[in-house]
Amino acid sequence: MPVLYALIVATLFPFALGPEDALLQRIAGGVVLVTVLLAMLLALDAMFRSDIEDGSLEQLVLAPQPLALMLGMKILAHWFTTALPLIVIAPLLAGMLHLPVQVMGVLMLALLLATPMLSLLGAVLVALTAGTRRSGMLLALMLLPLCVPVVIFAAGAVAAAQQGLPWVAPIAWLGAALVLALVLAPLACAAALRIALDA
Amino acid sequence: MSKWIPLWLHKLGSPPIFYRFAGTLRPWFLALALIAGAIGLYGGLVLAPADYQQGDAYRIIFIHVPSAWMGLFIYGVMAVASFIALVWRIKLAEAVAMESAPIGAAFTFITLVTGSLWGKPMWGTWWTWDARLTSELVLLFLYLGVIGLYHAFEDRRQGARAAAFLAIIGIINVPIVHFSVNWWNTLHQGSTVRILGPSKISMDMLWPLLTMMVATKLYYVASLFGRVRADLLELEGGKDWVRRIATGEQATGEQA
Repeated sequence: MPVLYALIVATLFPFALGPEDALLQRIAGGVVLVTVLLAMLLALDAMFRSDIEDGSLEQLVLAPQPLALMLGMKILAHWFTTALPLIVIAPLLAGMLHLPVQVMGVLMLALLLATPMLSLLGAVLVALTAGTRRSGMLLALMLLPLCVPVVIFAAGAVAAAQQGLPWVAPIAWLGAALVLALVLAPLACAAALRIALDA
Repeated sequence: MSKWIPLWLHKLGSPPIFYRFAGTLRPWFLALALIAGAIGLYGGLVLAPADYQQGDAYRIIFIHVPSAWMGLFIYGVMAVASFIALVWRIKLAEAVAMESAPIGAAFTFITLVTGSLWGKPMWGTWWTWDARLTSELVLLFLYLGVIGLYHAFEDRRQGARAAAFLAIIGIINVPIVHFSVNWWNTLHQGSTVRILGPSKISMDMLWPLLTMMVATKLYYVASLFGRVRADLLELEGGKDWVRRIATGEQATGEQA
């Protein structure tokens, strides 16, 4: 479903901005990143919903294994089912927008580092809203400040590669941030879930 | 001496005592804020000389800069109160954190509006994707996220604790956003007023600015006290001390 959504959004851009190659080529990297981000946001909302409805989330909280570890696995599963398909079709989207082939590698690398970040950060916020009824718009509002740096560095790497500049620095920053998030986000997610479920 | 201060602080954490304490102090803070604001504005708008380059347009800093400081300062207060609320589960800290958020959002909004009013004649544009402007906008979104999350819960205390957690995530995020957008794009001038080392601003302009800063701080405290008082009444509604206030005020109202 997120894949279809991303495809539709990416298709709409040339209609809105005109089909000139030069323009599309310039914005292709950013458009693909933002499209992937929006598609992930669409799927984030449902991350814990079915678990809350059938009560299995409470079982997870009560289980003897550390909650952070299990949430980490849940986030990993979410990343496999949502982000990985998006990464697979990203070259197709980028190709539709005429992104040069030599930049494609950098785009894929940026997506590979940025999407787990978004899954991890998003999971913390989804956990916070777990006790509320409607959370779609609220989730977008809360996620925006957190994903600004991710978008800046990921898009910065693609733009630098497109201009033939060295692109390692922003990628390295993304990698560093990912390592940090990988350690801290499951813990924060567990704490947030305990608050939201009042456990 | 060293014993009664912690004891006093401990007592102040109880809602009825804070309610009376804040009620006594609030008019003083409000009056001082209005006086300091009047002096600061008179000094800034009338006494201070015009800028050699920007003319009279620079005078917006007497609103813009204190508001910007307050936007960050209140976020700091909110995060500290949130931390206290999460760790020690103090009801008063939750109220302080949650009632700070709308005031901080208002100051941040004023900063953005006055900034863009100034930007039109000076930079020739209402809005530009400059690092400081962008981080200020992100700060506003952080405030709105906290307010939104607080109101999304049916149980107010649970909402307060979730929003407090978000505020703490936000304060880790603020410097990251600040540095990343700085790296991305910057046009805004650097800081002119420094705490360490000499400021790059004339004394005639500096004193009204600092007076305005004091005025906004005092106003924040007065506003916060009023809001927290109202919040405590609502949270503690049905408890004995609230009932006594409600019936007592009614009785005096009938007499008058």
